[in-house]
Amino acid sequence: MTLSHYVALGSILFIIGVFGALTRRSVIGILMSVELMFNAANINLAAFNRYLHPTGVTGQAFALFIMTVAAAEVVVGLALVLAIYRRRDKIYMEDINLMRG
Amino acid sequence: MIEVAVFCSMAAVALVSAVLVVTLRNTVHCALFLGLSLAGVAGVFGTLAADFLFVSQILIYVGGIAVLMIFAVMLMGRTSDLTLRQVNQEWLAGLLVCAITAAGLLRQAKGFLGKAADAPARALAAQAATKPLGRLMLGDFAVPFELISLVLMAALLGAIFFTRKEDEPKSTENGKPGRGGGT
Repeated sequence: MTLSHYVALGSILFIIGVFGALTRRSVIGILMSVELMFNAANINLAAFNRYLHPTGVTGQAFALFIMTVAAAEVVVGLALVLAIYRRRDKIYMEDINLMRG
Repeated sequence: MIEVAVFCSMAAVALVSAVLVVTLRNTVHCALFLGLSLAGVAGVFGTLAADFLFVSQILIYVGGIAVLMIFAVMLMGRTSDLTLRQVNQEWLAGLLVCAITAAGLLRQAKGFLGKAADAPARALAAQAATKPLGRLMLGDFAVPFELISLVLMAALLGAIFFTRKEDEPKSTENGKPGRGGGT
């Protein structure tokens, strides 16, 4: 196993996430795709830590920070989507792309 | 040898489930496959000897975020969603953009092809990462650590603020009762 395999895995996972975020219609699908992108970044950080700086754990610490930020993001995102669904009864992106009520 | 087998199987699980997450029509199945994909990523962390990340991934992502997604899908799902298309009209353009970007990224990844972990690094990485991580978090990274706790606090308050029930007078003022007003 070389570093290249891990970077390639992270790239493909990230691209799948980008594709989902570009093409899904429902807001929850887009949030799931964003989670996939966060995970791809985490794989890259852990792999670079292991192969380029194996004596330290800085990459893993960064990955932990990203996990925390992702958790906060998904909680706030789902709360917003739930609020919009309660008020407007809509979850598809083309119905809620205007920022005014 | 076993490392290669574990990496390939875990990467296959993560990638196939990720493709299913972005293509399936039933959103509940999407959320379930998201959990599987995140578990595959946890296995990849295992092959990288990142034990603390492995456990955190299982705890936070598979046990927390995937379950939260399933709850959200169940709260907001309708039966008509199963017959509607879940992908917008521009999926071909999106596929093109993603293919070009993927070609560029994989070209970059080829540059690391000769970079294998050497033996001393392998021995060092076999140690548990929990203790150095704890030292780092409360040493060099103390300020970001505290800032992250602030961010989590703000997220918690924001989630409560956005999902609270609407006030009763406000909803009757508009002429129609609020949908989540509990009346």
